[in-house]
Amino acid sequence: MSTKTTSDAGASRGLAAWRQLPRSQQGMILAYVAVLLLFVIGGIYRPGFVRLDNIGQLLLLSSFTGLVAAGQTFVILIGGIDLSVPWVLNAMAVLLTTTSLGQDSRAWWVVPLCLIVGALIGLVNGVGIVFFDIPPVVMTLGMNGVMQGLVLGMTGGFTCPTCNSVAPPSVQGIFVGQFLFGLPNGLLVWIVIAIIVGVVLSLTTLGRRIYALGNNALAAYLAGVNVRAVTLTVYALGGLFAALAGIALTAFGQQATLGMGDPFLFDSIAAVVIGGASILGGRGNYWGTIAGAIFLVVLRAVLQEFNISEAGRSIASGIVILVALLLYGREAREV
Amino acid sequence: MSATPASGTRPARRTHFEARLNYYSAQNVPLLLSLGILLGLILIYFLLFAVRQHRLPGNFELSTTLNNTMTVGLTAIGQALVVFTGGIDLSVGGIVDVTNSLAAVLMRNNPGSMLGVSLLVILVGAGAGLINGLFVTYGRLQPIIVTIATLTIWQGVALLILPQPGGAIPPPVTAILAGNIAPLAGLPSSVVILVLLLLLWQALRRTGFVVTLYAIGNDERAAHANGAPVNLARIGAYTLGGAFSGAAGLYLAAVATSGDATTGSQLTLTSIAAVVLGGISLFGGRGSVVGALAGACILTLLLNVLFFAGVNPQLQEFFQGLFLILAVVISTLIRRLLQSGRQVGGGSL
Repeated sequence: MSTKTTSDAGASRGLAAWRQLPRSQQGMILAYVAVLLLFVIGGIYRPGFVRLDNIGQLLLLSSFTGLVAAGQTFVILIGGIDLSVPWVLNAMAVLLTTTSLGQDSRAWWVVPLCLIVGALIGLVNGVGIVFFDIPPVVMTLGMNGVMQGLVLGMTGGFTCPTCNSVAPPSVQGIFVGQFLFGLPNGLLVWIVIAIIVGVVLSLTTLGRRIYALGNNALAAYLAGVNVRAVTLTVYALGGLFAALAGIALTAFGQQATLGMGDPFLFDSIAAVVIGGASILGGRGNYWGTIAGAIFLVVLRAVLQEFNISEAGRSIASGIVILVALLLYGREAREV
Repeated sequence: MSATPASGTRPARRTHFEARLNYYSAQNVPLLLSLGILLGLILIYFLLFAVRQHRLPGNFELSTTLNNTMTVGLTAIGQALVVFTGGIDLSVGGIVDVTNSLAAVLMRNNPGSMLGVSLLVILVGAGAGLINGLFVTYGRLQPIIVTIATLTIWQGVALLILPQPGGAIPPPVTAILAGNIAPLAGLPSSVVILVLLLLLWQALRRTGFVVTLYAIGNDERAAHANGAPVNLARIGAYTLGGAFSGAAGLYLAAVATSGDATTGSQLTLTSIAAVVLGGISLFGGRGSVVGALAGACILTLLLNVLFFAGVNPQLQEFFQGLFLILAVVISTLIRRLLQSGRQVGGGSL
């Protein structure tokens, strides 16, 4: 009897504490719980699903979405959106293979080159948005078209002589080689990136300014935040992370292909939203996004275990987002 | 429209007219700009066509250009209705995919089936739009993310309906929607559809429904406080928008004479591009469906111009994207020029 009341009291205390959490943190926790649940379901259906090497592979696949979504997190936190990621990613992947020609001797300057060009493209997005008042949707949409046209035009529809070059073996090693317990190196890269992004967002002035800008641009401006500089930085980071994901994906698949970036538009935005961030900006963090990225990949893997077709997986991903939104993405009632 | 007082003397009436013209042009700078771009593109197109082909474009060119425009135009109208409220509909491509596949799979060559399936397809589009509207309005969710979710759902559904491109659209449907009308001197039927759409807009644009859409886009709280049926109108915008996407899916199937569950995807982006090129503000409350149609024509004509200018077709997306960005930049610069003429200062972030 007494134990029951204490457990009841404990439950209600827990519930009260849960209610006091910000909506974005509730979302993040739910996303991690959902990931665990998926692994449990997959493991029950087929025990091999939760073997360490399978988990490692799934996490490696998640890392590509996670890297793109890192940039998307920055952009969405200030209340923007980056629709140019698919073809910025694709363009940088093509740049990597066609300029490195698969040679390690070129890798040391080609990889930084790709990252810098990616960041510059993102910066151009920022310039259009900051200095010409172009809505982010239009600017990044236009940029996506520009990059798509450039890739198709300059490679002649991927018929160029160097188009079939592979990523340099050293770059492949960075992402695909294995370290502890047979886990792929790409995971280590992702962990390092996650720590850097987490630190930047929560412990630096840039991070505080990003949240300030996302919550109320006018208040941030009046409080002395250089709104233009922060916006430019954030969109440059969006391009940088798209480029990094392009490099990682090319290293993983060895070659660049046309349209390789297309799934990442939906996935990067979905990962951020499932992770509890508000699409209006100001709320959310990268730890949530990581959960969102892993969730999307593991969900599809589980559905694949159940022999559900690509069409079914696509429908399921959409429904999951709607459910996540209804659980923790709702706005306060106005008026 | 206010009636001009008949008693006014001639000079007074002229100034009244001038005042109205000034007011109109000040209110419709983006629309006039987009019509100007369209006119310019038409001239360039005629010039390039004449130089390359040694004749002027005729009925055939008019027909193919407008047939290509109509799909984008229909989705752009649907997109515009949603954008008026300050929302955005990214599921347009998915709805087109579903309705396109559905039409190709279901339609048989008899009048009842053709009419019935056409209506069904538009209703399915409206239903898909209704779902968006309900989530956005009663779920209190952001349109961009709701419609991105429904986009993937509809893309999946379309693949279930029509896994491989195929199916068939009966020739009469293609003839009616995308052919030429013999009694009207071979006028392309897309011209008739275009005129009907413009007339429909003229009839609708002063109705309470459309005025409420603008009111929501300008200031939802004020609209609500003034007793405008905000929720109903917003749901109506998404539903009608979905119906137009459904019509676009039907039209696309009629032009292609078969179905494909993936061709619609690009229409999400082109419909937004058309709306923006048509001078409709993505922040809501500003613009006209005339602009959306003009924007759709601009996109098609741009491709024609690039073709006749001998530009590598693989660079199409490059020029479309560049043109979209440049058009918005120019419109921004012109607006700033006009504003600086009228008022001093004005704090900008």
